[in-house]
Amino acid sequence: MRYLLALGSAGLLLASCSDGAPGEATEAQQGDGTDTVELAEFPDRPYWGDTHLHTDVSVDAFGFGVRLGPEEALRFARGEEVTATTGMKAQLDRPLDFLVIADHSDAMGATRRLYDAPRMMVRDPTLRRWYDMMHESPEQSTRAVAELITAAANNEIPEAFRDPERQAAATRELWDRHLDVLDRYNEPGRFTAFAGFEWTLMPGGNNLHRVVMFRDGSARTRQVLPFPGIGTTVVQLWDYMDAYEETTGGRALAIPHNSNLSNGMMFELTGPDGGAMTAQYARRRTAREPVVEATQIKGDSETHPFLSPNDEFAGFGVEGWDLGNLPLTARSTPDMYAGSYVRSALLRGLTLEEQLGVNPYAFGLVGSTDSHTALATGDEDNFFGKHTGNEPSENRALTSQNLGTRQGRFGWHYLAGGYAAAWARGNTRAEIFDAFLRHEVYATTGPRMVVRLFAGFDFSEEDWDGDWVRAGYTRGVPMGGELEDTGRAPIFLISALKDPDGANLDRVQVVKGWVDASGAAQEKVYDVAWSEREMDGASDSLVPPVGDTVDRAKATYENSIGAAQLRATWTDPDYRRGQRAFYYVRVIEIPTPSWVLYDAVRFGLKLPANVVEANVMRERAYSSPVWLRPKSRPQIGDAPPIMEGE
Amino acid sequence: MLALVGEPVDPSERSITLSREQQAGLALAFERTMGRAPTDAELDARIGQWVREEVLYREALRLGLDRGDPVVRRRLASKMDELASAEVETAAVSDDVLSRWLQDHPGRFAEGERFTFSHSYYPDEDALHSALDGDGREEGFPISLPPRMDGASYEEVKAVFGSKFAARIARMKPTRSAQLQSGFGWHLVDLEERTRGRARPLGDMRERVEADWRSSTAAARREKAFDLLHKAYTVDIE
Repeated sequence: MRYLLALGSAGLLLASCSDGAPGEATEAQQGDGTDTVELAEFPDRPYWGDTHLHTDVSVDAFGFGVRLGPEEALRFARGEEVTATTGMKAQLDRPLDFLVIADHSDAMGATRRLYDAPRMMVRDPTLRRWYDMMHESPEQSTRAVAELITAAANNEIPEAFRDPERQAAATRELWDRHLDVLDRYNEPGRFTAFAGFEWTLMPGGNNLHRVVMFRDGSARTRQVLPFPGIGTTVVQLWDYMDAYEETTGGRALAIPHNSNLSNGMMFELTGPDGGAMTAQYARRRTAREPVVEATQIKGDSETHPFLSPNDEFAGFGVEGWDLGNLPLTARSTPDMYAGSYVRSALLRGLTLEEQLGVNPYAFGLVGSTDSHTALATGDEDNFFGKHTGNEPSENRALTSQNLGTRQGRFGWHYLAGGYAAAWARGNTRAEIFDAFLRHEVYATTGPRMVVRLFAGFDFSEEDWDGDWVRAGYTRGVPMGGELEDTGRAPIFLISALKDPDGANLDRVQVVKGWVDASGAAQEKVYDVAWSEREMDGASDSLVPPVGDTVDRAKATYENSIGAAQLRATWTDPDYRRGQRAFYYVRVIEIPTPSWVLYDAVRFGLKLPANVVEANVMRERAYSSPVWLRPKSRPQIGDAPPIMEGE
Repeated sequence: MLALVGEPVDPSERSITLSREQQAGLALAFERTMGRAPTDAELDARIGQWVREEVLYREALRLGLDRGDPVVRRRLASKMDELASAEVETAAVSDDVLSRWLQDHPGRFAEGERFTFSHSYYPDEDALHSALDGDGREEGFPISLPPRMDGASYEEVKAVFGSKFAARIARMKPTRSAQLQSGFGWHLVDLEERTRGRARPLGDMRERVEADWRSSTAAARREKAFDLLHKAYTVDIE
């Protein structure tokens, strides 16, 4: 036996010495994909992806128990079957087209290293306690991570854990290996693997997290390390991104997420120091953060019923999450909501633009998972949980969850996660990244609805008879674009197709936000297309409910109501000359069961009536907005990334 | 000292030899860290430290300190796993082996079948039938789907038209006016061509085949090695 072990370590030595000729990525795989595949003339299909996935490299994910790494995450995303940490076989019914692995930059790989260290080497009393908890049981391990997140929120992380110098060597090794894996799985035209990380700034527990996503292959990304969140500021993050672009010639962007857990801090009216926002800050923000993640497992951030009292579909994925910040160390009050949700942020952007000449919040929208299981699952009937502690099991739906235990957040408040759709001309790093840069992306809460939006001034019903996509691109702008006011009302071509394997559509809406003559921000939701139904003669402005076919006990629904496709040529009836406005499309599905009802069937659970009703859901898609700007004002496209410091 | 008496001592266990190669290894490790060769005194100190560790290590084993320690337990278990797969992870692999792997797992690498078809759309079966009866809607109803798919893979057809439609078309021979249901409604489909999945030559995708061979073989070997050992045990979970 001793002889065998010796052989084993010889093998290991070899593994670390052989400069990996085997399994090396080709040149095409290592780059940004330029000139590797034939491109369509116009973006011809949405590419589906998750921009926010954690693996065992993430400090919290490992502590929560996940033992699947980036390689398994990539295999799973491109459609292969893998074995989840808890032993179940897991597979996507339909593969994804791209994936951003976004492990936390802070203490990257540190819990794994702590876990594997000999106990006597762990001298810090807090770390030693976490070490013992992690080894004791999965429950204790989850508790240790909850403590870690709270400590991070309170800036009480043990020195040994956050010291960047101490981490650097370990992170370097991890990052280099990771980039090689990404290149190996990056196959232009077939599957795109993006490098990225999560920057996890959380002052006082208020979630200001961003996912940073790189356009480039390892030759460029290897020149940097992920930027730590603890002890840094968002302006420093942008400096880091500027420096990356300057030294490597590459591109990077940041995607804020979970603004719903920021207690109003994600989209402030002021600058980061509490003073007035400067034009320079606004310009940097809009250039660096072109896209926001509007929906994910930890709730939906589109809007809150408090902010949008006249929106009957507001409040999706809000319950539980609106109680407070991420670790629930501080409660939310309604005055904070406007800084926490994307619709109000888009409105604030218009107001700030009036003052500063530049809109800091002119962003597009995507959905993603934020799964900590290495499994990018977004479908209700295939939900593998927020983290390994709530992979499918009998009691995951009803138990209170780790963040904010016993304070009103339960397993069933988790959404199954969303996906990002990118309108691109081909499946490469460059094409998909550039779709993000021009906001030609949209969010769904999981279903793969195909949503098109074009805005212009001369569209008409007849355009649908011809090549309307060409018309859209040549005579107007797609989602994410901007129109300059011409004195005429903007006209929109809107098309929504249901998920071919999902539920029918109830309706298509346009959400308009504008600044009125008195300078006040206004919003209105217009129903612009809906499936056939008995109209209520009393009012044509109110579309009656589509109905409900969900069998609560069986977790099924029927596509006997709703429509497979909805189209509209819509002219803004409330247009005023010189108005500053945004328009985005919201597509609502017919009622369907959430993962909680599927769980109840699978495990024979008896759910309280309120939980059942809360889990008959209205899945949806949010397009990125189109902006209407008064004539000859600065436009977001004009703003090159600012390189100098703040 | 009495407490430190463990199992009886085998005299052969009480002799420690540090070979020339091992000494060179220590010197090399020093050089890698410090960027220069060690002086004689430094090397002596290293050797002294190594001997000290070896003595304590052997005594620790004799005392059974390796037992009941979760770190040692897991470390050794993962060494066993690595041992089973190490050869696979590092071995240079020949084209022959990969060609055989490609042959044995055509589904994983084959280009897959390609479908070329055009279609017209009808929201429901009634609309389809009245079009077939000549109601003037033979061209179908407008829908935001590509009217034609050129050499699309099964996965692409499934992503655009849904699983049911893809499963049906995968069982069809080239034909005109086939009635197919999709997630959207009904379609009259002219399937013009379907090309058999052509196995791509190994040269086109050696990296992919190799990565797949490596990870599948490593996992399989680990499991096989474990099964062999496992069989020798009676496990009783009370």
